[in-house]
Amino acid sequence: MGSWWRGTALVFQRATVETLRSRAFRILTGVLLLMSLGAVLVPQVLAQETKTYTVATIGAAPPELVSALDASGRAGEFEVEYVTGATRDEVRTAVREGDATVALAGDTLYASSTSAGSFPAVVAQAVVSVRVARQLAEAGLTPEQVGSLQGIRPPTQVSVGDLHNEARGAVGLAMGLVLNLALLYAGGTIATAVATEKSTRISEVLLAVLRPGQILVGTVLAVGVITLVELLVLGAPLAVAARIRSDFALPAVATTDIALAVVWFLLGFAVYGFLFAAAGALVDKVTEVNTVVQPISGMLLAGYLLSFFFIVMEDEAHGFWSVFLSMFPLSAPVAMPLRWASGEVPVYQQAVAMALTAATAVGLVVLASTVYRRALLVTGHRVRIREVMGGAV
Amino acid sequence: MKLEIRDVAHTFGDRVALDGVSFEVVPGVLTGLLGPNGAGKTTLMRVMLGVLAPLRGEVRYDGRPVRPEDRRHWGYMPQERGLYPGMPAGEQVVYFARLHGLARTEAEHKARGLLEELGMADRWRDRTDKLSGGLQQRLQLATALVHEPDVIVLDEPFAGLDPVAVASLSESLRQRARQGCSVVFSSHQLDLVQDLCEDITMIDQGRTVLAGEVATLRAESGDRQLRLHVETTSREWLGRFPDVSVVSDQADELRLAVPRGTDPLEVLDAARASGPVVDFGLDLPTLSQLFLAAAGPQPRKSMKVA
Repeated sequence: MGSWWRGTALVFQRATVETLRSRAFRILTGVLLLMSLGAVLVPQVLAQETKTYTVATIGAAPPELVSALDASGRAGEFEVEYVTGATRDEVRTAVREGDATVALAGDTLYASSTSAGSFPAVVAQAVVSVRVARQLAEAGLTPEQVGSLQGIRPPTQVSVGDLHNEARGAVGLAMGLVLNLALLYAGGTIATAVATEKSTRISEVLLAVLRPGQILVGTVLAVGVITLVELLVLGAPLAVAARIRSDFALPAVATTDIALAVVWFLLGFAVYGFLFAAAGALVDKVTEVNTVVQPISGMLLAGYLLSFFFIVMEDEAHGFWSVFLSMFPLSAPVAMPLRWASGEVPVYQQAVAMALTAATAVGLVVLASTVYRRALLVTGHRVRIREVMGGAV
Repeated sequence: MKLEIRDVAHTFGDRVALDGVSFEVVPGVLTGLLGPNGAGKTTLMRVMLGVLAPLRGEVRYDGRPVRPEDRRHWGYMPQERGLYPGMPAGEQVVYFARLHGLARTEAEHKARGLLEELGMADRWRDRTDKLSGGLQQRLQLATALVHEPDVIVLDEPFAGLDPVAVASLSESLRQRARQGCSVVFSSHQLDLVQDLCEDITMIDQGRTVLAGEVATLRAESGDRQLRLHVETTSREWLGRFPDVSVVSDQADELRLAVPRGTDPLEVLDAARASGPVVDFGLDLPTLSQLFLAAAGPQPRKSMKVA
């Protein structure tokens, strides 16, 4: 077994290094990184200007209020400017004419009806805070006690998404699309790698020292890791931005969905990776790869489109076809994440679908290994499945 | 250690590729597996290497059926380039060395030594697909030899090579054989490898048609020809040798077919008695002639005569 893994590891290592070194990988990684960074940075650039609010007061603004609003400004990434007026009418006019966002006159807070947003609430909260502090001091509390009372913060607010909400559904849709594209990309890479080894007769040299399963597993694992790296490149900036920036958030339940999508990607990869490898062994020339992988790509795409139709467009996450597609091993890897994100899926269905897909993957490894081993030695024409699944080769 | 191929048969569907081929590869002896294209040479080599399972027969090594771990100490060079196009040359040799069980450090050490020997030391970092055809052939040889195999199997190693490259590759193989390796190579260019082979097995349509030591096969052949330049036009002296026939009779050369049972020296003495002999020689049959004599008269377009 040690020798088996050593040989497989060598194939894996070579295939990984070769792919990382390839121009196609560098270009794709660059594009994905740009796309991901763009999704994070463009909105930020567009919203680059720090918001500035103007408070109009009768006479100079009380220092405690200025201090409280400055503190809020630092936390909320806005700045506050102050203008003064002599009378209530003057400060109210300043708001009406757009010279101030809000105006404070005694117990009245005038707010612009167009550009104030939530700022009036912030000012009102600051006014209340200043007055409460003043009264507490007058009641005999020490400044430390007043500060302690002011330090009381409201509970941390956590958004809880509805199990069936639009944002979550959109994440599921995006996940399904990304998984589909990732599997298509990885499948094409695997098939091309196998076809290259066959057309250059490297496979013949390899088969003299390795078993077909070693070459197959090593190649599929390498492309799988590379594809995960690509997905990481695509997802990392989004995830980091969601963690560190208050104005950039993923839908509340999306994290679970993403974790589940990764599991389904791995299962989908196990099912389709070996099929693509077997298809790659059928070619006579590398240029035939696109033709031989078409049935598999078509199957993958059909699974996604049917899932999209029944689960998203028809909105029947619990309908017969939705359940069938999410349980059928060849469509489950794209259908189940979509169905999961669209509504509640019983845990037992998730478990059964995963078990079925995993079992199918094992069966396909055996089948693909047979096709692969036999097809590699047939040259001079494109191999038909019947040829390699029939008599001994 | 001796490699034995015993009664190996293989079919592709209804087509018989090999039908009971047997031969031996002895250490220190260069053995040629010869025959026209489509004779079954590549299939036989694939069976030897375990890439194909034979329908019948077996491959034995060191007196017992060959085991997969034995093949880790064999080197194989396929008919076409079995190299990764985008991989640097040195890395390629190291990779194949490691596939054969060498540790990384040892693999690098041996790869550098071998590329030095093959005149490719300065090509270590070059991409394989940027090398010339000749250099790629040398690199392919390096991947087959880097782990210092006990058995070297080469499928059509001379195909497409110029005479200089043929000489260089021949010398490399002779050197390995002198070191005790069992070396077997296939070729359809029979006369090109005539001087390299010591033992041969000729196959045609999946069957062995001739096998043995090249020198013995040629010497014992009935197709010997005596070449004479006799300064007389009389041919009466030939009457003493009824089994000897005239192949050609030109002004400066009389070519005679001397069958087994007739001593060529006696024919030469008779010629000298009839007039001065200014030039003579005994031509043994070429491998192509031996093949045609053994396999039958049907034309074989795919066999090349150098």
